[in-house]
Amino acid sequence: MHRFYPLLRVFGALLIGFSFCLAVPMALSWYVGDGAHSAFDEAFVATLACGLGLFVSLYRERREMKVRDGFLLVVLLWTVLPFFASLPLYLQLDMSFTDAYFEATSGLTATGSTVISGLDRLPLSINFWRTFMHWIGGMGVVVLAVAILPLLGIGGRQMFKAEVPGPMKESSLTPRIAETAKGLWGVYLILTIACAFSLWAFGMEPWDAVMHAFTTLGLGGFSSKDASLGYYASFEIEVTVMFFALLSGINYATHFLVLHGRSLAPYRRDPELPYFFGVLAISILALTFYLLALGTFDTFGTALRYVAFHSISLATSLGLATTDYGQWPFFAQIWMLFLGSFIACSGSTGGGVKMIRAMILYKQVYRELLRAMHPSAIWPVRIRGAVIPQNVLTGVMAFGFVYSVSMVTLTLLMVASGLDIVTAFSAVVATLNNTGPGLNLVGPAATFAVLNDFQTWVCTFAMLLGRLEIFTLLVVLTPAFWRK
Amino acid sequence: MGFALTMLVPLGLSWLWQDGATSAYDEAFWLSFGTGLGLWWAARHATTDLKVRDGFLMVVMVWTLLPVYASLPLMLQLDISFTDAYFEAVSGLTTTGATVLANLDTLPISINLWRGMLVWLGGMGLIVLAVAVLPLLGIGGRQMFKAETPGPMKDAQLTPRMTHTAKGLWAVYAAITCACALAFKWAGMDWFDATMHAFTTMGLGGFSSHDASFGFWDAPAIEAVAIFFMLLAGINFATHFLAVHGRSLKPYRHDPEVGWYLAVVIGSVFGIAIYLTVLDIYPDFGTALRFAAFNVVSIATTTGFANTDYNLWPAFAPLWMLFLSSFATSAGSTGGGIKMMRAIILFKQVYRELMRAMHPNAVWPVRVGGIPVERKILFAVLAFGFIYMVAVAALTLLMSLSGLDTITAFSAVIASINNTGPGLNQVGPATTFAILNDFQTWICTFAMLLGRLEIFTLLVVLTPAFWRK
Repeated sequence: MHRFYPLLRVFGALLIGFSFCLAVPMALSWYVGDGAHSAFDEAFVATLACGLGLFVSLYRERREMKVRDGFLLVVLLWTVLPFFASLPLYLQLDMSFTDAYFEATSGLTATGSTVISGLDRLPLSINFWRTFMHWIGGMGVVVLAVAILPLLGIGGRQMFKAEVPGPMKESSLTPRIAETAKGLWGVYLILTIACAFSLWAFGMEPWDAVMHAFTTLGLGGFSSKDASLGYYASFEIEVTVMFFALLSGINYATHFLVLHGRSLAPYRRDPELPYFFGVLAISILALTFYLLALGTFDTFGTALRYVAFHSISLATSLGLATTDYGQWPFFAQIWMLFLGSFIACSGSTGGGVKMIRAMILYKQVYRELLRAMHPSAIWPVRIRGAVIPQNVLTGVMAFGFVYSVSMVTLTLLMVASGLDIVTAFSAVVATLNNTGPGLNLVGPAATFAVLNDFQTWVCTFAMLLGRLEIFTLLVVLTPAFWRK
Repeated sequence: MGFALTMLVPLGLSWLWQDGATSAYDEAFWLSFGTGLGLWWAARHATTDLKVRDGFLMVVMVWTLLPVYASLPLMLQLDISFTDAYFEAVSGLTTTGATVLANLDTLPISINLWRGMLVWLGGMGLIVLAVAVLPLLGIGGRQMFKAETPGPMKDAQLTPRMTHTAKGLWAVYAAITCACALAFKWAGMDWFDATMHAFTTMGLGGFSSHDASFGFWDAPAIEAVAIFFMLLAGINFATHFLAVHGRSLKPYRHDPEVGWYLAVVIGSVFGIAIYLTVLDIYPDFGTALRFAAFNVVSIATTTGFANTDYNLWPAFAPLWMLFLSSFATSAGSTGGGIKMMRAIILFKQVYRELMRAMHPNAVWPVRVGGIPVERKILFAVLAFGFIYMVAVAALTLLMSLSGLDTITAFSAVIASINNTGPGLNQVGPATTFAILNDFQTWICTFAMLLGRLEIFTLLVVLTPAFWRK
């Protein structure tokens, strides 16, 4: 146990920081007097006390963090913080711990699946907290993806480490995590403010504008309305959300380089962007024609508007909705969920396997085809001219495989517990990709409240698995990790 | 380039067609014999050595053109469309067992025999394909079985020349088939059914001469015989050959797949039996075990017989069975899916990545049966696993695009690409694939070929680079 003290000390410090995040909705609750302040008071005090207790009692335990500590810290953060984050929900709303923890995990992993209905009647501070969790989660995800996972070498992420020659090198930014984090968070904050002001300018209430800006930039999906964005039925608001969701689906390191260098060149050099936009644009057009042909919509304009919004919302793993697309022909729904599993760029707040891995997987398969014809030829896999090292390749392929296996296994578990296949599969895909709404019983017009406790925990696990890029969580679960 | 291989086609064809009993067979026989002879005559002077590229084309041609001829008797005799007849023939020759025909009990005997024979011949073809041809082509890590690998794998190579290998394997295959037919007769089938079901059992096909499949007899003895031989056919025939050749059971112990294969299948049998008992589907554990054992083994080994409509079981059970079919059978058996060997390698590779995440600089070779697996093979296996899943996802999307419900679409694709046979819901064990429209039938046909030719073989031939000089 002793060897974990330095790690727990750092964790205590982070917990203190997190308690100040809780102070924000607390202050809001006092200010507007929505009756939820006692719940936030207690949650704030409990979090602060735990954090201080850990930090003070272990104050002398300092040492350099090792790779193994890194894994444990990341896993601790994403499993224990939701516990504290769920306290206000648990105390204020009459819900079980299972549901509250699910909701908080959904918030902090920027998933957006909810078990709460009647959102319009919730206290303002509770809704604010739900979306604020997305935003904090998004901050964490950006740093995790750009700075921490590459160091841990998860699923080929070491590609982004400084050793790799060529264009990737610039993406590693400044070597130290703290510096990187500050730079990325600056960009994140600027985009959020821009989004909030745009939403406000197009007619949202100020608080709603802030909350939906949080949700959009974190690519979460919580809304303060049961009808989600459909409540506003405003074309301008939809376009704004689409625009910022697309921005947030791009690598924040690229955004940073653009702002830093005041030039658009980094966008051109980003290998993921052409595919990100290309696949989305083709999907949107194709689905629009498909729905027009099947008579779901009357005019091209309407079809395009709804298809564009939901394709972007689900593909970037946002999960807001303006209509019940559960009524659309089945193919359209499945296709949009499918997009969510790979479209978002690495280093964005989106989920799934990420575009760069999808590209590498595709190229590797093509290479195997060529190698079958010419067994002795050497075909390096290249991304933008840079040769991908072998261990990155195996890492990416193993990631793709274990991602699919997780999906299948968790779906089987859900089906074994009595759900129908479509609900089970879509719930797993939506949570593993951190998208939000699934299909059928957990579709956009319903909530995850229909699941029983066991199924809710499976979904909670899937959200964590997806957000921590599977390996991070699995490593900590192996016996070898705990051996001396 | 393709001249030499066209010579081989008639050879195969001419002996395939020796049971022309009715006029349908007469016509089909003369047509295929004529085409074959014509091709052979035209190309008789072109006897160059076959190259790797020819090998790909040859394999693809055998599995796409033979069904055309094989479908002739069905089309001529049974008033069905070419699409359906071709589907049925592909289903036979790929040992899938998905059928579009209903009222099997009233079909002419020779048609049912022909369906059974298609499966059996398909099984013969693919044992040789799996043990001798694909390793040479290096498909999805199959080169592992090539002679270069040291250690126990080397024995699995048998005799170096393909024809010798083929003869040895076919002898074992034929011997086990005879034993199976005799056992079926002994257990209570009549001679015709015993022969036909021995064919489809050993080919792990799943065609039956009865609509109710094994439910027709409702006899535990017959089911037990079928279970035993299905399990046998799910093991690498090279291992069988070595066991028979050396008169020892040791090769089974050395085979890295057998242990996992039996453990997974038998574990699932008991798991499902308990699951069904707990949910009160069957009154007592014995009955549950009987039905679970037969259907789980049948689907997991990609045979596709049924003795009850398991589609009525809770969704988890049939889904799990289909899931098993995607990886349980051994490489070199007549089963389908990605094969147990690849599943083992994939699993070990993932575990290695986990270890490497903790110790980035350590070297962890992936070992199977004590031998480190080459990097090249690792890549090929990983790519195979990935493209297999992509193929399942893509074909399911296509099927659901054409208007099927998700479960039917997904299960039809899985059942076809694994060469299992029956799916779920609308294509479940109590129904046939006849409800699919032409487009969907062709997708399933494509999926069966894709699965049988281990995806890459077919994809390679479809790339433009293949056709460049």
